[in-house]
Amino acid sequence: MKQIFDKTTDALSAALNFRQLRQNVTASNLANAETPGYKAKVVEFEDALARAIDLEGLNKDAGLDGDHLAIGTGAISRSKADVYDNPEVNVTNDQNTVDLEKEMATLQENQILYKAALQLINKKLGSMRYAASDGGR
Amino acid sequence: MSNDFATGLRISASGLSAQRMRMNTISSNIANINTTRTPEGGPYRRKDVVFESMPDARNFGELVTSAPNDSLQRVQVTDIHVDQNAVDRRYEPDHPDADAEGYVAYPKINLMEEMANMIQATRGYEANVSAIQASKDMALGALEIGR
Repeated sequence: MKQIFDKTTDALSAALNFRQLRQNVTASNLANAETPGYKAKVVEFEDALARAIDLEGLNKDAGLDGDHLAIGTGAISRSKADVYDNPEVNVTNDQNTVDLEKEMATLQENQILYKAALQLINKKLGSMRYAASDGGR
Repeated sequence: MSNDFATGLRISASGLSAQRMRMNTISSNIANINTTRTPEGGPYRRKDVVFESMPDARNFGELVTSAPNDSLQRVQVTDIHVDQNAVDRRYEPDHPDADAEGYVAYPKINLMEEMANMIQATRGYEANVSAIQASKDMALGALEIGR
């Protein structure tokens, strides 16, 4: 038996969460762009999420008999983002490592990809609604 | 450490108020570039803000339990540094504030430096405005899921 929301929706919602985190961390970097001693931080989640999607794909339905619900391995919802001090930076006089331009670029890129994930989710829900309404009748 | 859209807004807002505070300090320095009298005596002394990062928290309880190197840090102006040595003595014997040798103590403020700091503060402020705009757009987009 399949659940309503499939792996794609899980992955997209996880991606939205991670992008929200990246947005917040970038906001933190921008707010502290001139704080002496502050170290710029980066969020990395793409690899972890890709691995989780793979894992879920391989193990889905494994070892379940017909009466049980297939709920996946939960690997996607358990995947974690890495937040660490950005090593690729120029340290300035005041030991601050924030690169304002780089952070602005991250901000914009993240926002666009967040919107892309939102659109994909909406498309997914749209086609579900279409099916549920008996093909739009 | 919470990770909702309000967190981003809160952090960016702290950046805005810190940069505004800095802007006010710079304005004060420029306005008082020739001030020789102050309530505390002597010429106006150049002021500078001190920025400090601190873990983002919604309330005091969260602040106590947060790690000092949390990944989400807001910024705060923790001190306004007064440069006590920034005095420029000029020979103006006719000036009412001249001392016995005819020297007047003026604030030692470099207008160009203040202007450069002002541009930097403006840029910092604008960066935080962009971050708020981005957070807001993302949150509004999430509200439209399934519409």
